[in-house]
Amino acid sequence: MKALKYIALAAGLLCATGVTAQVDRSKLPAPGPAPEIKLGTYETFELKNGLKVIVVRNTKLPQVSYSLLIDRDPIVEGDKAGYVSLAGQLLRSGTSSRTKDQIDEEIDFIGASLSTSSTGVYGSSLSRHKEKLFALMADVVLNPSFPQAEFDRLLKQTKSGMASQKDNPQYIANRVQAKLLYGAEHPYGELNSEATLDNISLQDVQQYYQTYFKPNAAYLAIVGDITKKEAQKLANQYFGKWKKGTVPTHQYASPAPLQQPVIAVVDRPSSVQSIVQITHPIALKPADADVIPARLMNDILGGSDARLFNNLREAKGYTYGAYSSLDSDKLIGKFVAYANVRNAVTDSAVAEFMNELNRIRTEPVPQDELQKAKNFLTGSFARSLESPQTIASFALNTQRYGLDKNYYRDYLKKVAAVTPQDLQRVAQKYVQPDKAYILVVGNADEVAPGLSRFGKVSHFTAEGEPAKELSGDVDAQGVINNYLTAIGGEKKLAAVKDMRIVMKINFNGMEITNVQAKKLPGSYLNETSMNGQTMSKIIVADGKAFMAMGGQRQEVPAQQAAAIKIGAYPFPELMYAKEGITVELKGMEQVEGQEAYKLAIGAADGPKVIEYFAKESGLKLKTEGPTGTVLYKAYEEREGIKFPTKITMVTPQGALEGELTTLELNKGIAESVFN
Amino acid sequence: MKRSALLLVCMLLAGMVQGQSTKIKFEEYDLPNGLHVILHEDKTTPIVAVTVMYHVGSKNEQAGRTGFAHFFEHLLFEGTENVERGKFMGIVKEAGGALNANTNQDRTFYYQILPSNQLELGLYLESERLLHAKIDKQGVETQREVVKEEKRQRIDNVPYMTFQENIFKRAFKDHPYKWTPIGSMEDLNAAQLNEFMAFYKEYYVPNNAVLSIAGDINIAETKELINRYFGEIPKGKTPYRPKVEEPALTVQQKDTIYDNIQLPAVFQAYRMPGQGTPDYYALNMLTTLLSGGPSARMQKQLVEKDQKALQVVAFPYALEDHGLFITLGLVNMGVELSDLENSMNREIERAQQELISEQEFQKVFNQIESQFVTGNARIAGIAESLANYHMYYGDANLINTEIDRYRKVTREDIRRVAQQYLTPTNSVVLYYLPKSQQPANQTSN
Repeated sequence: MKALKYIALAAGLLCATGVTAQVDRSKLPAPGPAPEIKLGTYETFELKNGLKVIVVRNTKLPQVSYSLLIDRDPIVEGDKAGYVSLAGQLLRSGTSSRTKDQIDEEIDFIGASLSTSSTGVYGSSLSRHKEKLFALMADVVLNPSFPQAEFDRLLKQTKSGMASQKDNPQYIANRVQAKLLYGAEHPYGELNSEATLDNISLQDVQQYYQTYFKPNAAYLAIVGDITKKEAQKLANQYFGKWKKGTVPTHQYASPAPLQQPVIAVVDRPSSVQSIVQITHPIALKPADADVIPARLMNDILGGSDARLFNNLREAKGYTYGAYSSLDSDKLIGKFVAYANVRNAVTDSAVAEFMNELNRIRTEPVPQDELQKAKNFLTGSFARSLESPQTIASFALNTQRYGLDKNYYRDYLKKVAAVTPQDLQRVAQKYVQPDKAYILVVGNADEVAPGLSRFGKVSHFTAEGEPAKELSGDVDAQGVINNYLTAIGGEKKLAAVKDMRIVMKINFNGMEITNVQAKKLPGSYLNETSMNGQTMSKIIVADGKAFMAMGGQRQEVPAQQAAAIKIGAYPFPELMYAKEGITVELKGMEQVEGQEAYKLAIGAADGPKVIEYFAKESGLKLKTEGPTGTVLYKAYEEREGIKFPTKITMVTPQGALEGELTTLELNKGIAESVFN
Repeated sequence: MKRSALLLVCMLLAGMVQGQSTKIKFEEYDLPNGLHVILHEDKTTPIVAVTVMYHVGSKNEQAGRTGFAHFFEHLLFEGTENVERGKFMGIVKEAGGALNANTNQDRTFYYQILPSNQLELGLYLESERLLHAKIDKQGVETQREVVKEEKRQRIDNVPYMTFQENIFKRAFKDHPYKWTPIGSMEDLNAAQLNEFMAFYKEYYVPNNAVLSIAGDINIAETKELINRYFGEIPKGKTPYRPKVEEPALTVQQKDTIYDNIQLPAVFQAYRMPGQGTPDYYALNMLTTLLSGGPSARMQKQLVEKDQKALQVVAFPYALEDHGLFITLGLVNMGVELSDLENSMNREIERAQQELISEQEFQKVFNQIESQFVTGNARIAGIAESLANYHMYYGDANLINTEIDRYRKVTREDIRRVAQQYLTPTNSVVLYYLPKSQQPANQTSN
């Protein structure tokens, strides 16, 4: 009996444990007590020459990293825009005792990495190579040799990079945004170009280095498996003799705020998607108390799984993602709300952006939405602490921006204390849709009319310049007629029955020859060769277009063939009407310092090229086609007709300079040439 | 005296070795339902990575139903019997965490990085996913559209990104590696709801998964929580694993692809053995020799000296059953693609003919060792590596010892594998050309 009772009891206990083991899946498990978030420690010291060093010891991995930062004011580069960044890249290209090859070899041999920029150097390696890496870094910082050959190579690479970006809408948007927000005279607003890059000399680069690479303007963060003592020894040994000097400071006026929104449209006719940015500068410095509430507010508006995203993507389906960013900066910060949206919904997307921007200004954020943002920020803060580099950046920011010395220790407390009222206040201060640029890069014909409901639409070029309005007395055909007159007049041009043009093109020290032969009524040869060897050949004969490459001959697709056949005439512009080519005036722009008419030219149903004709001289200045851009320069008269004797071809792979070497008119070209 | 001095030296040496290697400690065990658990405690930061790796990838799919494994990576964010549709991400964000997932040919990996007091939430969400995810018509329809957007944005609109699909379908004739994880949109459109449910039932079972947790945890408490959330999940049948012997290629597969690109490029892919095999390590070192840093052979010669290429890369596409040794080059202006290809081949021939110098050999090893150490910088990386090593090799401790497998590779091995695998007949060669150069009589690939 007693035993039974025990068994029953035991069974009951078993049941009880069974019940507690069953989890209640209907609700989320409650979190445990919040863990203490401890900041790692750091130590600092300063060399006699003023170099400030931060050491964060972390032995979790046998690794070290060094980060040298030159803390200087932003610089206006003027007509040499681009030289500062070039100087940074060139720093790693050789020292007084090492060639670039040697630097590469020595860095790779210890399995390390070392990169340079205009404001510093970053390197990392296993800790057993810490001294070797330090020595290499110091050599690069203190004894750069700036070799001319490497300078030339980097300059060319920069131009190629620029050319390959030219049609990229994001690149266009970033540049126009900078120019609109800050203006061309401001360090954040000036843009580099082929022309400014051409103005840069090796001396400019050296001058930059000599002016700004001073220990008293620098911070060195040493992080990882290294003690303060070791760090002191290395810093003294390798940077102790670095000479201090006066580094210039610069001040800039803040751009004047807009009084009403500016709708800025940049035309990119081939776009199927518009880049939309609603943006304005903000006066928010890193040390301002508003930084924390502003970050929370921005996360609620335009973070992940936030208002803009949920409205424009989840509810409306306009885009793959809509976000906003709010950056503080010592000089001037900025706010941007952005998305890429389909052409047809561009104006509707802008309307939703405006709704959300206004809503966060006018309606208090509900407590639970604020709590979610606080939790996320707290979690992000904790996750960021996993990297010892975070502690180094905290130390660096504290010194650079003059933050309260307990700023990061108290960071989460400040996050927790933010109220909905704080959010509304910072929203009203830093989100100002009524004083913003509504920047749209896209197909202007399709999207501009819809945008006019937000105000007057202003057109801008891809360089951020106002696109000139057209005066009423020109039309597209008039521009073409002017051009034909300018180069010699229709009568002279029509008398040309055949034409042979030879151009010499220099590329990387190699000489490429391009021959074009044109013969009425429609035979054409375009042959490119190098060292007497044919690289490619385009032929039009008997109404068919062929492309020959490497001994193989292929017929060109119909649409492309049509374009080639137009080009087969000695002066295609004479034939536009007959061949059904339409011309449309798109506006005015600056080309190489001249005012020019912009024309879209092509068959009614086919792809268009864009050509620019100088307003003053009437001459053709530039062609933008699907394979690249051609600039025409140095027109000279030959047999009564003006021809460009120099051309520049800008392709994604870089710019090529061509020179006219032979021009023959009406010499009677043999038909066999077109085989 | 003498003996204790020796002991002191030994201890010092041991200490130094310790300082250099930093061993990752972990515990592992199986639940009765077959779930493999790996736990790594690291209290430096109060965060925890909760990860689950399922041994299912695109190679487990059936022809005509490709893209399933990756599709599930999306579907399993839709919700569960207890987690409302669309709330999964918001719950994690509200807890202060971050999450994501990814899929390859061999496995699917889900991870959350949470404040350590939210460990239980992470376990709850992952167990919900495994126990009773919501596989319904609405979720399938929504994610079908999202996956199409993803394909447009990440593959179709990214220059050269069709290279995977184009290489793998030529490098493999029988093995399911012949299709890629994103799969075919037609297959996804054609698939019925019950097929998705069957896939879930077959592969999303505890005996096909590794639960790997790293970070600020208490091991005993974590085990208890794991029991509570995962113990009740029933064991499944043994999932289908393809056993396809794919013979080596016998004829070079050469083709031209016309794509939305500006710069022509050449891709070469050589069939190589699966990851973890001795030759795989030698081939991996060979790719580092060719393009593993600014001083690497292809980089120095083809990009800097000859300026034939704007970029060259050699990398091992490592997979469970077979792999590919891939080299690619983006051509510089005025250079014929075949010229660049020949120059790339010359570097490969050099590796086949000349034994590499001791110095270069040491450099390559040092670069690999450095990467090996960096791989353990974050707890999420540690959790993933532990799961990988267990799933692929049945030995999670390779997180500490895999580097020894590289140590076993000799200079002669590197030359031998270059000779053995990098032969024209064992390769796929693709020329990528801009669409504007496509002849009229050919259709797009």
